[in-house]
Amino acid sequence: MKIAARNTTIEQPPVKPPLEGLRKVPFPFVLLILSGVVCVVVLVSVSFGSTPIPLGTIGQILLNGTGIFHFARRWDPTAELIIWQVRLPVVIGTALVGAALAVAGVLFQGMLRNPLADPYLIGTSSGAALGAAIAFVLPFDTVYGSFFSLTPLLAFVGAMLTVLLVYSIARSDGHTPVVTLLLAGVVINAVLIALQTLVLTLSPHAQFGLQALFNWLSGGVSVTSWPPIFVVGTIILVGIVFSLTLSSVLDAFALGEEGAAHLGLNVERRKLVIVVVGSLLTAAAVSISGLIGFVGLVTPHAMRLLLGPRHRLLLPSSALGGAIFLMLADLLARVVIAPAVLPVGIFTALVGAPFFLFLLRGSKRDYRW
Amino acid sequence: MVTTPPNKPIKRPFLAVDGVTFGYGREPLLYDVHLQVQQGEMIGLLGPNGSGKTTLLRLLSGVYRPQQGKILLEGHDLQQWNRQDIARHVAVVPQELHMPFAFTVAQMVSLGRTPFINFFGSPGKHDESIVMDALHAASIEPLAERIFNQLSGGERQRVMIAMALAQEPSLLLLDEPTSHLDIKFQVETLALVQRLNRERGVTVIAAMHDLNLAARYFPRLLLFQRGIVADAPPAEVLEQGVLRRVYGVNVQVGILRGAEHISVLPPGSEVASEVAEDQFREHGPQPVVHVMAGGGTGEMMMRALADAHIAFVAGALNIGDSDHTLALRLADEVITEQPYAPISLPILEEVRKSLATVKLLIICSMPIGPGNLALLQEAVASERHGLRVLLYHDTAIAERDYTGGEGQQLLEALLQAGAQSVASVGEAMDIVKQL
Repeated sequence: MKIAARNTTIEQPPVKPPLEGLRKVPFPFVLLILSGVVCVVVLVSVSFGSTPIPLGTIGQILLNGTGIFHFARRWDPTAELIIWQVRLPVVIGTALVGAALAVAGVLFQGMLRNPLADPYLIGTSSGAALGAAIAFVLPFDTVYGSFFSLTPLLAFVGAMLTVLLVYSIARSDGHTPVVTLLLAGVVINAVLIALQTLVLTLSPHAQFGLQALFNWLSGGVSVTSWPPIFVVGTIILVGIVFSLTLSSVLDAFALGEEGAAHLGLNVERRKLVIVVVGSLLTAAAVSISGLIGFVGLVTPHAMRLLLGPRHRLLLPSSALGGAIFLMLADLLARVVIAPAVLPVGIFTALVGAPFFLFLLRGSKRDYRW
Repeated sequence: MVTTPPNKPIKRPFLAVDGVTFGYGREPLLYDVHLQVQQGEMIGLLGPNGSGKTTLLRLLSGVYRPQQGKILLEGHDLQQWNRQDIARHVAVVPQELHMPFAFTVAQMVSLGRTPFINFFGSPGKHDESIVMDALHAASIEPLAERIFNQLSGGERQRVMIAMALAQEPSLLLLDEPTSHLDIKFQVETLALVQRLNRERGVTVIAAMHDLNLAARYFPRLLLFQRGIVADAPPAEVLEQGVLRRVYGVNVQVGILRGAEHISVLPPGSEVASEVAEDQFREHGPQPVVHVMAGGGTGEMMMRALADAHIAFVAGALNIGDSDHTLALRLADEVITEQPYAPISLPILEEVRKSLATVKLLIICSMPIGPGNLALLQEAVASERHGLRVLLYHDTAIAERDYTGGEGQQLLEALLQAGAQSVASVGEAMDIVKQL
């Protein structure tokens, strides 16, 4: 009796997960490092392209742009034009899209407590795609008085409307059960994809529409001027900053809805806020990038593996990580068979998947749902 | 019988449940529950599966709102509290918890501070010291950096209690805290809860399945079956007859040699349980009256019978019927049917047996639906065999007959065969006392 009792009380030595060390790093430091990496990747991305521009020159051009520094212009004036008007908008746009998708991924995974959740899950992708398909078959390109071309505008509107539709379908008696939300999302996705096919089939410009839509669906930031970046960037930055205020809410959601309610949260209202913010981020991103997969799914997981599940750190680090990830994928898409540009979605999957699997296998014990 | 609450000096109760009725759909699950709890009490909530224990806890934690009645915490209606205020006073320990992410124990416990941190949510020094204190109180400091999902069930239970403790609650609700644990962890968990109750004055209400552990750790027990059947110290609540009526199984209650506390033992075998039943029937008073009621129509009659110490059988009644809850408390024998179900054949057989032994059948003015039509047919048959029948109506038959006249016909048949009609409980009691 005594022996048995003693046996059971022996403390098991704590199993140290291999990535434990990283979690101990104070988090301003982590964010500082990630921000540094973002800057480096921006510079590298800008330097690559049809005409390579040395990093030093880029640095000087960018610093001149701030108005504080005045480096002598010893470079080809077209380089300045290429950087400011062609490459930088694309790179900044890519970074914003990556950050938005990753943060939306964190929001949806946290709220749905589901590892397979990604930003497109509850209808944003099919809604945006239907919007884009309609834009491609319509005979005009821009809406009067707007610097936005029609495709991003309709994609954004389509995504938001779809999410609101899914949410209102799933809602009954003042509750929106997570399972119903997921199922409603799947069903509406199917319906909208059918509608999209129908639109393209019946359209007189079908041939042209299909090709354009294929390019759009494969994803890739294709902006040619700053105004769309400003608009989308504002939505995304506001969305990300607002998400940061939700970190303790998302932590509490890990306990389940009832557990979160016991910690004093108004669960239904918070769920709606998370859905709206997550969808705004996704729709804004999709409107300039088309459908880029994998970033929103994998970045949050990778960051959770490296830094732990607390959302106070996970949200900002995922934003930075998503930006880095998508810029690198975009860089590869541009240089691998330059001057041709491949769809960036290819590289998010081809580069992201092995990296993620490497992390996953390195911490098998640690990462269980 | 066991309804008197313990005598306490009269002061404003810490928690008061005042006539609460609640159901998930249209059908009520809890009916007219009254309860008063003083600060620092430790209460065990007992009852069969589906009796509404968990629902009561959810009402107390404010997750559900009563459809009728009020819950007063520290004198204020819980409906007027917002969720955050409730979370600063009431903490809930769930039955079991699985975390979707790899939270460490320290991170989990610090989640308990959620109701206290503000918008941008960075916990301060004060919060940290409370988390450390909670880890210490639950003796889980060595586990602080372990991953929650990798812990054993007993360790997890401690972490959940520590998390609740970080909320600095004045009321701690536990939903079957020991149901997934082995005996060692059951004892450790309840000892921890008891220590928190004694040392910190936390008021504890815990739903429990294990009657013995409940008797061991809780000075006050509530026996629950869609309403409060008994509310008293263990020795009164854990009484053979009450448990048999509520749980529908024969148990033996006693004090084991060398132990201080009451024990409840399950029946040994079918044969033994039948013997026990026979013994009980021989020892207990022989019921002389059978009451058919439902929907609250039997309340006055059953109270009058119990006050006059007349042993009676009630049934068949559906679980969840307010008459059923009352009958569990007052009657000597309750014939129980599942909630919202029509009276089944085996139950009808029990009614027939009972009618063969009693001297008088009182039929209250219950609503007559297709479900309980069979009861009246049974009554007609028994009357033919010489059973005396009283019809107590205070409502016209036509108003409560939902069978398209069939019920009315049966009642008329009863009257024609010699059943007496009474208009008041007093009149009925006069007849009962002459038996």
